[in-house]
Amino acid sequence: MSLTGTSLKPQSRWTMARREIGRAVTAAVIALAVTFIVVLFTSKAPIDAFTTLLTAPAQKVRTIGLWIDDAAKLTITGLAFSLVFQARQFSMGVQGQVYVGGIAAAYVAVSPIGETWLGLPLGILAAMAAGAVYGFLPGLAKAKLGANEIVSSLMLNYIAIDLCNYLVRVSLAPQGSGLLETVRFPKTSVFPALVANTRIDVGTIFAIAAVLIVWFALYRTSWGLKLRLVGHNARFAEYAGIKSSFIMVSAMTAAGALGGLLGSMFVQGQSFMKLTVLFEGGFAFEGILVAIVARSRPMAVPFVALAYGYLRQGAQLMNIRTDVPAEVIGVVTAIIILLVSSSFSLPDRRTIMRWLGRGADRAPAAAAAVAEGSGK
Amino acid sequence: MPLIEATGIGKVYPGGVVANDGVDLTVDSGEVHAVVGENGAGKSTLMKILFGIERPDAGTLTLDGRSVHFTGPRDAIDAGIGMVFQHFSLVPSFSVYENVVLGSEPHGGIRFDRQKAIADVRALSERFRLNVDPLPPVRSLPVGQQQRVEILKALYRNARVLILDEPTAVLAPQEVAELFVAIRSLIAQGKTVIFIAHKLPEVLEISNTITVMRQGKTVGRVKTSDVTEHSLATMMVGREVTLRVDRAPMAKAAPICAVNALRVVNARGNDVVKDVSLFVRPGEIVGLVGVEGNGQAEVLEAIAGLRHVAGGDITVANENIGPLTVLERRDRGIAGIPEDRLAEGLATGASVAENLVATRLKDRRYARGGLLDLKAIRANAQKLIGQFDIRVSGPSAAVGTLSGGNMQKVVVARELAEQPKLLLVAQPTRGVDLGATQFIWKTIAGARDAGAAVLLSSADLSELLALSDRLLVFYRGRIVAAFLNREDLTPETLGRYMLGLAEQTPDEIEAGLG
Repeated sequence: MSLTGTSLKPQSRWTMARREIGRAVTAAVIALAVTFIVVLFTSKAPIDAFTTLLTAPAQKVRTIGLWIDDAAKLTITGLAFSLVFQARQFSMGVQGQVYVGGIAAAYVAVSPIGETWLGLPLGILAAMAAGAVYGFLPGLAKAKLGANEIVSSLMLNYIAIDLCNYLVRVSLAPQGSGLLETVRFPKTSVFPALVANTRIDVGTIFAIAAVLIVWFALYRTSWGLKLRLVGHNARFAEYAGIKSSFIMVSAMTAAGALGGLLGSMFVQGQSFMKLTVLFEGGFAFEGILVAIVARSRPMAVPFVALAYGYLRQGAQLMNIRTDVPAEVIGVVTAIIILLVSSSFSLPDRRTIMRWLGRGADRAPAAAAAVAEGSGK
Repeated sequence: MPLIEATGIGKVYPGGVVANDGVDLTVDSGEVHAVVGENGAGKSTLMKILFGIERPDAGTLTLDGRSVHFTGPRDAIDAGIGMVFQHFSLVPSFSVYENVVLGSEPHGGIRFDRQKAIADVRALSERFRLNVDPLPPVRSLPVGQQQRVEILKALYRNARVLILDEPTAVLAPQEVAELFVAIRSLIAQGKTVIFIAHKLPEVLEISNTITVMRQGKTVGRVKTSDVTEHSLATMMVGREVTLRVDRAPMAKAAPICAVNALRVVNARGNDVVKDVSLFVRPGEIVGLVGVEGNGQAEVLEAIAGLRHVAGGDITVANENIGPLTVLERRDRGIAGIPEDRLAEGLATGASVAENLVATRLKDRRYARGGLLDLKAIRANAQKLIGQFDIRVSGPSAAVGTLSGGNMQKVVVARELAEQPKLLLVAQPTRGVDLGATQFIWKTIAGARDAGAAVLLSSADLSELLALSDRLLVFYRGRIVAAFLNREDLTPETLGRYMLGLAEQTPDEIEAGLG
């Protein structure tokens, strides 16, 4: 029997991927164009400012290092959000997980163990375990009590931030120093740098490994398939005999472990090498943007993180070197999110032709009208 | 001059689906014009174009001989077109009159003139014989009445043309008769009705003219008086169809499933199933009859393990399945086709292959040591796609891209891939085209003949009468009548019990249980 009329063209994964990439790139270009207009109106030297935004991060080894380090961290938070988004859980707890992860890693690093070779792996494991527990809590509250995970995870973020403040003051900072940070961690507890004199450290390798592990877990294990089915349709999952509350809680716990890992990457990485209060500075939430633009696809996350990390770095350099504040990047972010999350699609060739065709139709008509008008 | 004339309408959806391809529709003033066709034939798209929801890529639309371009439903409403969708858009907590006037409220100054609104709605419902009390909240009304509220909404906005999208799908036979009375009264007062339908006897009863669509094209426009159900069905499907299932005489084996004094309570604490006892034998289909929302669905969900049982017990193969999980019940040979395939039966964003193994993720054939065997999953999908004739580009296509009938085939394929002992079926052919309906009926009957015990709930009485060996009528959560499915059993008889107008004595029910 033939498949005519309503049948579908087989659409390979690559056509889909190409379309998504096209959308993301178009969104970025539109966002940058709008940003340029904003810069044009706010800056005394708009071209300089815009050039700094677009080119500065790639000009020095040091800034490239900043960019790659940011991208690695964005990848991890983007993966954590992708994981819960795929299960259609809107846990916003990565920030809190980063703090408890950082605290756990710091306790290991400043303890006698931190002086031994165990300091690094134990610090990472402690951070991941702490993050996992912190991700598990809102999941448990949702499964057992029906508590909305958005609210509970956001509130847990503040608890973690203040817990970090408190612990640094009372126990982690050197006694009597009044500092709001720990001492520098012993070398054995710090991520070795991959490129000397930059921030690029083994955290970058962890980020790449995490991408592969999350991808594998989502697309090659039955847990991942269950998780995606729960995300697509939780009622159907129940119907099929999948325990959706278990999947939900385990997804949030796994994402929590990633959040904890990010905490360890912050405090044990080349960027800090110590725990300070408020070390995260709201960074974790930028994973939401990365996950949205990557459509929660783990393989797309590092590329989005690289692109976004570049703009982010460019904005900071623009802030330092020109009269345009870094907040301008908020415009780019906002427009990209709006375009990507709305169902905007690229006009296909036919539509463009029609526009052009219409335009051509209209032009002679308008010309005729003008001619007629002038004739009278 | 025709009232509405659509010529050469073409519509291609962004995914490349050709929904309409050179469709012509001519509707005369003052007629009931039925548009029939299988699912995916493009009826809904055509109606959405008439109502301004979709814009056509090709073709022209004229109203009263004037060319019109609707940019949205607002334009269509202003032009005098009203549409009642299958899924109502009413505010449940608002009263009937508030729903009717919402958005076009009569007002004195800035004050909402409630008295005028009530009077207007009352006058309108009397004039068109659409009896609805304007005062109660919409959520307290039965479905048939809610539908009238939708029609009143359109009439209140001065619709001359009413598009009714499968209006009878949710109604009991008596309610259908009342709807037809209302439609005739609308016509008598100069309105025009466009009626979309699957059920051919209804189309033949109510319409004057019929446009038949198939695969996005118009196949023909015929006078109702010139066609029969059979010739119409052949036009729709493009080949001969028989909507009849041969029922082998049933064997009197011992029941495989028994439900005893079942009680189910809903979230609000009301009893939705009260003291229901029934049994089903291997190799028979027991039809659960009733207007939707009278407890049939809940009984099936309780057996499947999807609903908390407040009292009574359920045994399958002499085992009390009360404490078992959904998956354990599935392991015991219970399979189910759920009422709402989009809400419960499928993950539309996931692929066909993934949907087909979703219930078997503990099966060592498809997942070992927590890892998926993608090859086996794909092979399983390919096998079932062939066996169940699912029209799809391949196993990795998302289920959401399929037509209603093919989506339902995915559900049926998954549930019947292995012969079940007990099959729970709810609304298996709702919104499914004739060809697929025929296929699904045969498949269910095949499972029955292979020894499955089947519990079938459906809003379509002809389906229940065609398939069932025995019928149990539900009203307000109780079984009020039981029948053996004999030739002399008519929809009207069942309808009286469905609407609570009559009730058998316990002895009669006992006798009917056979």
